[in-house]
Amino acid sequence: MIADDNSSPERQADTDKDWFLPVVDQPSTRRTALKTAGAALGLAAFGKAISPLWSIPENVSVDEFLQQHYKELSDNDKQKVFQRLEAEAKDAYGAEVTISDPKPIPGVRFGYAINLSKCNGNGACMEACNRENNHHRGVDQSYIRVLEMSKGSMDMEHGTTTYDHTVPQDDKFYMPVQCQQCENPPCVSACPIEATWQEDDGIVVVDYNWCIGCRYCEAACPYHARRFNWEQPEIPTDEVNPDQGYLSNRIRPQGVMEKCHFCLHRTREGRAPACLEACSTGARVFGDLNAPDSDINWVLKNKRVFVLKEELGTQPNFFYFFDS
Amino acid sequence: MSSIIAQNHTGTEPADSVRSYPRFLWWGLGEATNGGLGFYVWMFVLTAISLVGANAWANQVAEGMIVTNMTDHVSWGLYIANFTFCVGLAAGGVMMVIPAYLYDDEEMHKIVIVGEAVAVAAIVMSTLSVVVDLGRPDRFWHLIPVIGRLNWPVSMLTWDVIVLNGYLLINLHIVGYLLYMRYLGRKPNPRWYVPFVFLSIIWAISIHTVTAFLYCGLGGRSFWNTALLGPRFLASAFVSGPAFIILVMRILRITTGYSAPPGPARTLIQIIRVAMTINLVMLASEMFTLFYTGGAHGASARYLFFGSHGHYGLVPWIWTAIAFNLVGTILFFMPSALDRSTVRIAACVLCIVGIWIEKGMGLIIPGFIPSTLHEIVEYTPSLVEWKVTAGIWAFGFLLLTVLLKLIATVFSSEQSAATIIAPAD
Amino acid sequence: MLTTVTAAAISYLLLGNGHGADDSLSTARTEPRPSETTDLPSVVSPKFAVSIRKPQGPPRVITGLKNADGTEVTIACVTCHTTRPPNHNNRTVKDLDEFHGGTVFSHGSVSCLSCHNERDYDTLRLADGSRVEFPDVMKLCAQCHGPQMKAYEHGAHGGMNGYWDLTRGPRTKNNCIDCHNPHAPQFPKMRPTFKPKDRFLEQPRTKH
Ligand code: SF4
Ligand code: SF4
Repeated sequence: MIADDNSSPERQADTDKDWFLPVVDQPSTRRTALKTAGAALGLAAFGKAISPLWSIPENVSVDEFLQQHYKELSDNDKQKVFQRLEAEAKDAYGAEVTISDPKPIPGVRFGYAINLSKCNGNGACMEACNRENNHHRGVDQSYIRVLEMSKGSMDMEHGTTTYDHTVPQDDKFYMPVQCQQCENPPCVSACPIEATWQEDDGIVVVDYNWCIGCRYCEAACPYHARRFNWEQPEIPTDEVNPDQGYLSNRIRPQGVMEKCHFCLHRTREGRAPACLEACSTGARVFGDLNAPDSDINWVLKNKRVFVLKEELGTQPNFFYFFDS
Repeated sequence: MSSIIAQNHTGTEPADSVRSYPRFLWWGLGEATNGGLGFYVWMFVLTAISLVGANAWANQVAEGMIVTNMTDHVSWGLYIANFTFCVGLAAGGVMMVIPAYLYDDEEMHKIVIVGEAVAVAAIVMSTLSVVVDLGRPDRFWHLIPVIGRLNWPVSMLTWDVIVLNGYLLINLHIVGYLLYMRYLGRKPNPRWYVPFVFLSIIWAISIHTVTAFLYCGLGGRSFWNTALLGPRFLASAFVSGPAFIILVMRILRITTGYSAPPGPARTLIQIIRVAMTINLVMLASEMFTLFYTGGAHGASARYLFFGSHGHYGLVPWIWTAIAFNLVGTILFFMPSALDRSTVRIAACVLCIVGIWIEKGMGLIIPGFIPSTLHEIVEYTPSLVEWKVTAGIWAFGFLLLTVLLKLIATVFSSEQSAATIIAPAD
Repeated sequence: MLTTVTAAAISYLLLGNGHGADDSLSTARTEPRPSETTDLPSVVSPKFAVSIRKPQGPPRVITGLKNADGTEVTIACVTCHTTRPPNHNNRTVKDLDEFHGGTVFSHGSVSCLSCHNERDYDTLRLADGSRVEFPDVMKLCAQCHGPQMKAYEHGAHGGMNGYWDLTRGPRTKNNCIDCHNPHAPQFPKMRPTFKPKDRFLEQPRTKH
């Protein structure tokens, strides 16, 4: 705000009536004309500046814009939404996909355990996750990260995920980390709009069509389990997994959060998660925590099991153990 | 110039014409966009920068957040850093209100309204900083109570949304009401603003506390997970707010002749001296616990202050901040800071920049480095992020300029307006 | 990357088995045959079966000779071993002649005849001398590797494919020698081929 009292034309104009005041009927002067011109120019420039936004209506349909939260959709709404999403997948990826919405199996609570004595860090699980869950191929996205840790320390600070050599190394052990499906999930409390929540079987899911992409949940998760879609995922048509769940592996839109969902489109139909099937060392054990005789419960009862960062009170449903 | 404006409005306009509030706003907009060549150049430059920012943001929305340098490891960057600072500025803007009303310091009132204007502009800036950080701004309506699905009261972010918007409304009301009354030449009725002033004082503290809770409530981020974060935020807000207002007052005095007596500024300096000392003491005690006990808890602090595992990205930032803060504080304690001196201005600038870094790049970013799996991925803002942030600041200044212009106009026209309008009451 | 399949293949190539686990593996996947199914006692009332892949029979040894049509000449173990007396002094690969010379052997302190049945080389033997057919090799492994077998029975060893919930579908499991070469049972070293990158940045991804 630099006043310039010496500019006499301005000064003259100053004494004139202001056209902005509707009640005062005053002919417009040079200044007001200039102001109008300035405002018009400003608006035009603004329009030009935000012109990249005009590409959005192509990608975001009115239906999508107005779509309600998953929990508020009736079965009928869901059918329409799924059809729309299937059409979009056809459009954008050229793939025929089916989107389903398997519900939690009543009475089932999922648990997962990894035998760290067996895991050799070969990363087959990461790759399987990438393929199964229609992850962005450009960045080889995966919900799993495998840490190579030094024997004799549980300190992740001495771990690395970027190791690139023959595994296993003699002085190392390998620890895959993915969403721990916390019983008390900080990510869910963080989300301002309930775009992520815990289902009855313990799986924490994200409604990719409700998330606003604030990434607060990503900051809240203590296990680096969440992934953000920094751009629209690229997947070659022939690599698209057509068996898709609305809350799980359907192709995610740009700008939203995603995370491991224990392959709920598989596990809620009784099948094993993709990472478990891919594991070449048999280090992974999956099952129903509520069934006393399940494999996972055998592990919990017979192995000395621990969870990551127990002190945070997140109560993971994901366990680790060593063969003694 | 102020005299010209006064003449403009009081000389030729019948008071009745602006009796309604919307009309007052129209009139205000007209007045606030009047000015000399320098004023127009200033406004033009701000508009241009805002447009560059708007364009960068539009590109970011169209292409995805990939154009930023944020990653899944450092998932918040410059935007949220800037947001944190702006919330502090907004809170700090109202801190002036405390001495003004608690001690009934009449002289402060002229500064108070400037503080409220700064608060309004800063709130708008913080809201914009959050909006540009969203991956899906088109779904912003999900955040609106009732039609959206607000996860209140569990999510701290919903508290922040509510509290920031409430704060904006309160301050708009106070500024608007006071100006309108002065404009009409009436004495403001305390019933209509004093309760709000007190509310805004409490609210100012709450917006910054809630913003601190946003971070310190996250158990997985040990660098933030400290009870001292809230108090530190408040202390630094008590510095950055008043320092910013001192700068604004200086500029206002030079450009519009709007000035307050020297007393209030001295009060502000006193506030800053105390607050800055407390801030530094808390920073020091934080550093003590982090470094003396060591362990994984201090990993972020080690990275921030000294770098770790060959990564030194934030080291220059934080030491600049510390140097600025220390020098700024020393300058504030010099006697000449109590006068209208260069020392005072330098101290203000140093402390503002120091705190901007300390609360942004020095607090938000290291919370993510190392990541929760102790990986180190560094972060430097991308050009798009700088453009958008510059755009937000330019827009904030644009708004502040218009508000201050209005304030200056109304205050300087008050005397003559009152004489004319008063009988019509 | 080496998978269970290749690991199994390696173990069988060494044995020169022309129709070993690989074949039965694919059969087991498509249509688990009842005869190949082992019911695990701990699994509660499964509606669907847990099938364990099995080698189909005694391995055949590659002679290194070719048939007229170019195929390998393979022979059964008994072809030679019925005429030769068992040599209890043969404890390591170095002691062996002819076909077995290339075999890698690293399996504790056991010797060839700890597992191979000297009375019928097309079968195996337990420690007590009782005879075990090749398809039932897991019985042999289990006598020394009890804890592993126990874990295996409870899904904590050996991995699986198919259904975690047996009321909804069947499950297929690996056999010991699908993953472990019986002559050198340590799990092979591997080379990781897949690294998630999260997102690209100009600067190289950092390590520490
Ligand atoms: S691991 Fe992270 S993403 Fe998964 S439930 Fe826990 S907090 Fe949420
Ligand atoms: S990124 Fe999405 S899921 Fe995560 S907190 Fe924000 S809105 Fe919720």
